[in-house]
Amino acid sequence: MRTPAREQPRRGDAASPATRVLAVALLLCIASALLSAVAGGLLRAGVPLARAGAPDWLGQAALQHAALMICAFMGTVIAVERAVAVKLALAWLAPAASALAGPALLLGQPALGGALLVLSGAAFVAVNVVVVQRQSEPHTWLLLASAAAWLAGNALFAAGFAPAAVVPWWFAFLVMTIAAERLEMTRLMRRRRGALPALVGLLALLAAASAWSAFDPVIGGLLYGAALLGLAVWLLAFDIARRTLFTQGLSRYMAVCLLGGYGWLAVGGLAWAATALGAPARDTALHALGLGFVFSMMMGHAPVILPAVARVKLLFGWPFYLPLALLHGSLLMRLGLRAVDAGWLPRGAELNAAAIALFALTAIGAVLAWNRKDALQARRPRASRRSESSRPG
Amino acid sequence: MIEDLPFPFELPEELQLPVLEALQRVVDPEVAMNIVDVGLVYGVKLAGHEIQLEITMTSAACPVADVIMDDIERELDRVLPPEYTVRTELVWDPPWTPDRMSESARNFMGW
Repeated sequence: MRTPAREQPRRGDAASPATRVLAVALLLCIASALLSAVAGGLLRAGVPLARAGAPDWLGQAALQHAALMICAFMGTVIAVERAVAVKLALAWLAPAASALAGPALLLGQPALGGALLVLSGAAFVAVNVVVVQRQSEPHTWLLLASAAAWLAGNALFAAGFAPAAVVPWWFAFLVMTIAAERLEMTRLMRRRRGALPALVGLLALLAAASAWSAFDPVIGGLLYGAALLGLAVWLLAFDIARRTLFTQGLSRYMAVCLLGGYGWLAVGGLAWAATALGAPARDTALHALGLGFVFSMMMGHAPVILPAVARVKLLFGWPFYLPLALLHGSLLMRLGLRAVDAGWLPRGAELNAAAIALFALTAIGAVLAWNRKDALQARRPRASRRSESSRPG
Repeated sequence: MIEDLPFPFELPEELQLPVLEALQRVVDPEVAMNIVDVGLVYGVKLAGHEIQLEITMTSAACPVADVIMDDIERELDRVLPPEYTVRTELVWDPPWTPDRMSESARNFMGW
């Protein structure tokens, strides 16, 4: 007779009450970072969220939109993902510090928020050094480089540099993280000679252009846009998504998210370069990249990553395509139609926010659907155990 | 008797097919292939009534290791007689390389 596995201690479970409290606090910080970042973004796009007497935090949310979205939300989520992968208690310092930066920024304490982000970036670099020690491969080195880009952006932010100097580093962090993870996947395909040096070259150009943007926004912006465009071409040429598109279910959905995202990455690159040359394309550059590329990636990977970090199961189904279609459709309206009618900026932004909300609802619905299915299946007691060997290095 | 597997597969004959088929139902959704075809299984053996598995991941930065191990245990629990237990060990040595992919996986990925 087998002992039910649920009675055995399992790695990955939030065992102690203290751990549970910390996990809930972290989750609340991540949710509030996303919500406030979206609210701030809507205000910036001209959506009248509050008339006279808007609360202070809402003003701060508009002011710190990029820091909240990229660092307190996305940075925290990425740092959580890495902490789960390395399984070291100290690795949680990185997401904890960036999560706390959110409330600090919303309370109008940018110095404290900046300091927390520098701490987080430094801790995240250390975590990625551990990853490289365990597995020294091009993609783990790129992850380390992406962490360094985040630290650079956070340090400039803390030192009070203008967004034009900070934001390129922050986007470089996100773009390099995604590129590194896609590079890892290309190991499954026969990689053409020159593909790896090309990617490293493009990402080196991205980092150089990030640094250059602080001194010369024109040359820096042109090079940055060129690097993004080149990266989009690289991903479209070499990513496994071109093959997994012809599978089904979750794999195909992920491929659709990826390929759609690469299209927006190309748009972002062109718009970034156009902005450097004086065209009024800043909103297009930032949001083709942040919403079209990064959010599309997040929507694609959430059904895989959520089970890993939140210890929940999701039942994948066609409803996941709805928020994805709304995200890409609303972005097309926001970025494409505003040239004809300026009202499409706030309208499109509202629909962008609706896409994020719909995605959250879809994910919650998928968790409930799994639980329902799981309860219906007659399940036998389990007696599985697992362990992890000491790693090399 | 199952032969030609690229990893030690030391199980009594009556368990071989159900265990292999269970492992082939564990799919890495990112690549749309099962863990046997990707080459993530390093070894399966029996010690007493414990089925011991060694598996790896393609990346040390991959957070889904626990999910894949959960899926392995879930699938094996469905096919094993009740007297058997399962122990899954995550190993990093030797590191995974594309050479570990099966013929069908390589075909799918265009090798």
